[in-house]
Amino acid sequence: MRALPRSPRVRGEEGMTLVELLIAMIVLTVGILALVAAYSSGYVALNRATRVSSATLVADSQMERFRALQYSAIALNTGCGASCTEDTTYTGDTAYSAATAVTGCSSTTESTCLPTQTKTGPDGKSYRLDTYIEYSCVSGTYVSPTSCGSGNPYPVKRVTLVVRSSILTSPVREQSDFTAFPGS
Amino acid sequence: MHSPTRARLSRRARARATAEDGFTLIELLVSMVILLIVMASLASVLVSATNSEVDANNRFQAQEQARTGLTFLTRELHCASAVAVINTSGSALAAGTAGAGITETVPSSCATSGGQTLYVTWCTAASTLNTSDWALYRMTSTASQPTCTSSGQVKWVDYLTTSTPFCLPSTTAACSGVLRPASSLPMLHVAMPVNLNGPTSTIATYDVVDDIALRNGARS
Repeated sequence: MRALPRSPRVRGEEGMTLVELLIAMIVLTVGILALVAAYSSGYVALNRATRVSSATLVADSQMERFRALQYSAIALNTGCGASCTEDTTYTGDTAYSAATAVTGCSSTTESTCLPTQTKTGPDGKSYRLDTYIEYSCVSGTYVSPTSCGSGNPYPVKRVTLVVRSSILTSPVREQSDFTAFPGS
Repeated sequence: MHSPTRARLSRRARARATAEDGFTLIELLVSMVILLIVMASLASVLVSATNSEVDANNRFQAQEQARTGLTFLTRELHCASAVAVINTSGSALAAGTAGAGITETVPSSCATSGGQTLYVTWCTAASTLNTSDWALYRMTSTASQPTCTSSGQVKWVDYLTTSTPFCLPSTTAACSGVLRPASSLPMLHVAMPVNLNGPTSTIATYDVVDDIALRNGARS
């Protein structure tokens, strides 16, 4: 057998060292971790979307209860102590106005009468539900529960529901007007 | 024993191997083991992420179905008259008793009637997608009230974990703790818990609950 001629080129190629290989692997890992991060941000977005749709169902369900009530029965109970407390979150909302608030409900258990309550959503999580009932005039300015100024129709009761949760970046809001016409 | 030629060749080969500073077998094995560990952990993360994505997608579809069904039901019931809760054999149930279905009459002026008086029956039946779940079907007829086994069933909700989603509360008989409020229209209590993996699943059930106002009913 004849010995192979020793080429200078082959001697010059010194291959990769273990350190170089490790660095390459770390770079690869960083790249793959970026892909994993995309999954986790998708999970967070899905979680938030579930919360929003659950909060909307809580509000829908509560508004439906108002639709079943008689006009005269749509009112808040703001004087029953602990369960009717209006905290700064409640009074700080844009829907709140002490001057036009509809009060006069005496029930402490009927959920349509409570300004602030905690509801369990369809996802099993807790949601804070704030209910605002205010007299509102479609035209004219509010004078009394039976007047919006001369020649204008009577005020309507405007129900605003605000559902809050720590994971929601902004609360879910729902609003509906109720008139005194029979059957409404 | 060795011939002089072979001994010379062997020495030459060793010399060449020493001169070329490539991988040793040990280095290659170490790097491959490290790479394997990293890849295995990443692969397990990706596999579990993919599984949970599929699961989340299925659950989202089930929830979406329940919400869509509830929206349609609400729209129909707001306009319907003569709403009653029934069991699977079609008998009307007392207030506060949960039933498998409802019967209703939808007048011709309603959006879901199709222009003429429609008799509508909603009923649950065993789900064809998951053996321990239930599905909600809607049957219609312009001639007479359909039964739970009538033909022409249209499925609206699947993966229900209860076979009795409907209940009509009175002021004294509650449905899941919900009484009919004073001076209120009658309300149909609808509870549609959906779970892709059946009632015994450890994954949280999505519990769609609503009290639908029956606007053509008489006030309490």
